[in-house]
Amino acid sequence: MALRLMLASYRIASHLRISVSHRAFSSVVLKDLKYADSHEWVKIEGNKATVGITDHAQEHLGDVVYVELPDVGRSVSQGESFGAVESVKATSDINSPISGKVLQVNKDLSESPALVNSSPYEEGWIIKVELSDAGEVKKLMESDKYSKFCEEEDAKH
Amino acid sequence: MRSPRTLEVWRLGTVNYLKSLKIQDKLVSERKSHQIPDTLLSLEHPPTYTLGKRRTDHNLLIPQSQLTKIGAELHYTQRGGDITFHGPHQAILYPIISLRSIGFGARNYVETLERSMIEFASMYGVRARAGNKCETGVWVGDRKIGAIGVRISCGITCHGLAFNIDPDLNYFEHIVPCGIADKEVTSLRRETDALLPKEEVIHKQLITCFAKAFSYDDVVWKEDPSFILDTKDDG
Repeated sequence: MALRLMLASYRIASHLRISVSHRAFSSVVLKDLKYADSHEWVKIEGNKATVGITDHAQEHLGDVVYVELPDVGRSVSQGESFGAVESVKATSDINSPISGKVLQVNKDLSESPALVNSSPYEEGWIIKVELSDAGEVKKLMESDKYSKFCEEEDAKH
Repeated sequence: MRSPRTLEVWRLGTVNYLKSLKIQDKLVSERKSHQIPDTLLSLEHPPTYTLGKRRTDHNLLIPQSQLTKIGAELHYTQRGGDITFHGPHQAILYPIISLRSIGFGARNYVETLERSMIEFASMYGVRARAGNKCETGVWVGDRKIGAIGVRISCGITCHGLAFNIDPDLNYFEHIVPCGIADKEVTSLRRETDALLPKEEVIHKQLITCFAKAFSYDDVVWKEDPSFILDTKDDG
């Protein structure tokens, strides 16, 4: 029964372009995104990008109660902090996976910060950026590499 | 086979709050660039109220102008959590450690800080517990004995925990502690009949519980706190 469920999940996952590890409770990693080693994702569409934090990140944060958003128009740099989330009395910096100018911030997160937990890749997006250097994307991880990175991090404890 | 983990501990005595922020900033930067190993500051503050990133100053119940009258300062910080009080006879630990090297996120880190305090309390026969959801911290029944408020930047921690040994609990009446109304604050002194040793001993016990909870192999007790205190400054 468990084997059939597992095979079914792989079939559904490959249809939805999701990579699923065989381990129980592994986090979701989407194939068409790029990932930073600080657990942010970026979706590139032409010279625009959408940024958020990954499912792995939100699991390890706990319930998000506050999201500090940057101002629209502000510049962001790859690897530098642009905002923060608060969960379990901890503020954790969010780093930008790419450099550019902030075009839009997700204002829904002010009223509903928990969207970061419930929908990290969709409704929980954090900023939209106009890229200043498309070449930087090469420094980010593809989904398979990011999945492996998460497994290695989790194995440390 | 993981490499051995070392914790360097600085016991600083009473340190002014702003000074402690400057020390932490410097250590965070040094930890990020691998100049120092995981480091722990053990200290106390003079009477000080602090607010977290959300700046919930509606939880300060007296006008700011009254604070000097009661001998206290107020500071805004970048840590998580709500308003709290720090003062003499409250043991503070500020860990400056790399969470990435142990694969910890905020939740694991905070839960391990809670466990450190719970283990420490049990040394005096006090049965403490971690808070329920949205009540991060350490409680004895419905009374809060230990508070947590941390900041994580590039996987390096700062700020930390505060455990009430025997502070003047009247100072907590001027705030809604941690933003949680109708819950008391307590101390080790109130919760145990056990004879409390010198505070130096108590601080060392708390540090040892921290080191054990975080599985450090070696603890290096740094002498000469003036090395990071910069005694030229006041306080």
